[in-house]
Amino acid sequence: MKRVSLSVLGGVVGLLFFLPLLWVVTNSLRPGSETFANLSPLSWQTFVELRPTVTNYASLLDSAIGRATLNSILVSAATVVLGLAICASAAFGLAAFEFRGRGLLFGVVVLSFLVPFDAIAIPLSTMFRDWHLTNTFAGLVLPGIGNGMAIFLLRQFFLGIPAELVEAGRLDGLGWFGVFRWIYLPLSKPALIGAGLMLFLFQWQAYVWPLLIGTDAKHILGPVALSNLQGQNFTDYGLVFAGAVVLTVIPLVVIAGFQRYFVQSVSSTGLK
Amino acid sequence: MRQRQGLIALAFLAPALVCLAVLRIVPAISAVVESFYTESLLRGGRVFAGLGNYTDLLSNKDFRQSVGVTLLFTVLVNPIQVVVSFLLAVLFTQRAAGARLWRTLVILPIATPPAVSAVIWSVIYRPDGLANGVLERLGLPAQPFLTSPSQVLPSLIVLLSWIGVGYWMLFLIAGIQEIPAEVREAALLDGAGPWRRMVSVVLPLVRRPLAFVLVADTVSNLLVFAPVQILTKGGPNGNSNLLMYDVYSRAYAIGDIHVAQAEVVILVALTLAIVAGQFRLLRGDQ
Repeated sequence: MKRVSLSVLGGVVGLLFFLPLLWVVTNSLRPGSETFANLSPLSWQTFVELRPTVTNYASLLDSAIGRATLNSILVSAATVVLGLAICASAAFGLAAFEFRGRGLLFGVVVLSFLVPFDAIAIPLSTMFRDWHLTNTFAGLVLPGIGNGMAIFLLRQFFLGIPAELVEAGRLDGLGWFGVFRWIYLPLSKPALIGAGLMLFLFQWQAYVWPLLIGTDAKHILGPVALSNLQGQNFTDYGLVFAGAVVLTVIPLVVIAGFQRYFVQSVSSTGLK
Repeated sequence: MRQRQGLIALAFLAPALVCLAVLRIVPAISAVVESFYTESLLRGGRVFAGLGNYTDLLSNKDFRQSVGVTLLFTVLVNPIQVVVSFLLAVLFTQRAAGARLWRTLVILPIATPPAVSAVIWSVIYRPDGLANGVLERLGLPAQPFLTSPSQVLPSLIVLLSWIGVGYWMLFLIAGIQEIPAEVREAALLDGAGPWRRMVSVVLPLVRRPLAFVLVADTVSNLLVFAPVQILTKGGPNGNSNLLMYDVYSRAYAIGDIHVAQAEVVILVALTLAIVAGQFRLLRGDQ
């Protein structure tokens, strides 16, 4: 009996959280003119569409949001590749060597993620304006690649790699880059995926920075484009909802694909 | 040998250190420096202003209201989100049919970028939107939500909790799952009821993840921007004008970049002070 009531309670909570998303998906499969047609009174048809149409998704393809979504994918992918290279190499420098000032450098890394990025976005954007990086992909990608949290996460993992392996590699004639490339990286797949997810989500969810630095038609990112559309007078909500679904499904697929690592990286940032 | 090691390590560290210095630390310092200057029309270019920008801010009515709104928001949103995440984490770690599926449904909104969530909720909160549709079905009168001075903050809190609670719950679920099975069983054998087990057994044992969630959640809520910019523009009458949005509108709508930098400094200082305070408070517990 207790089990059943817990299950029912969980179900009610789960559905409450799910309803807004379900409503968005349903309306993305309906012409925009019908968005508000099923709300008064509310019925099961509010959340289910029996004759779904994909016209909203089709018109998404050649709308501003389609282009912006491609930009988001491009910027996030570049961030993950460059960011992983830079952060993993830094974590290796902090984990594999003993030298004077190591603690200090590690302190710099920790300090850099204590200052929240969104708060310094405005001073940074005035710097980027002086450097002519407004409305460039470089300007959008750069702030995402040096991620103190990702360095921290990778360093923790790298510290667990036994020194004997490194010595053996060195005896076999590997240079330090070889040790990094052929010993550390292959052994650290879970941590690399966790850090990669962190870099990806930072960039995919960003709003303040792309709003400050990249708003022309060629460089605008998905969330900014979507919120621009929402502000207009004659908004096609079918299109807005289709865009919202696409911008949600892409990270969802990535998170779901790496679910194990996502939870791992989440819990290790919280507990260590 | 050690010196050589240091040089090699530095080579591996250099790209990241340059990025962190240029993209995180220099802008923070530049905000502090710029906040002491002002643009002079008479002499052209910037002149040293001392604490002028800060005194301007402190005597500014809109800024003072914004600080008040932000503090009220902070005091409301963080306890609500932490308590709800904890209760949901306890609920979803019980053995019950479908628990995994229900938990997934709560986590789903994590994937939605905050700006996209704000757009979605702007449609939900419309006078003819989903929220009023639900109220009508329950036989309740329609509400103004975002256009009412008293309902705007609660409306934002609901939307932010929809985004955030599932995420914070993940940390607490991980913490609860680390509690050894023997401890739970011992409590059961002692005849502790469910409420007693939650308060006396689970709660003290997840204090560390709970502390992390409280601090990280507070920081992220101090920086709320997208929902304000997309849904309310700080209104009505400044009742949702959170600091982060006030900084933005001061820098770009009002165009006073130096005063805005002073406000950035105050915002970062406030963030660090609250984080330090919470850490001290939680450490004092031990």
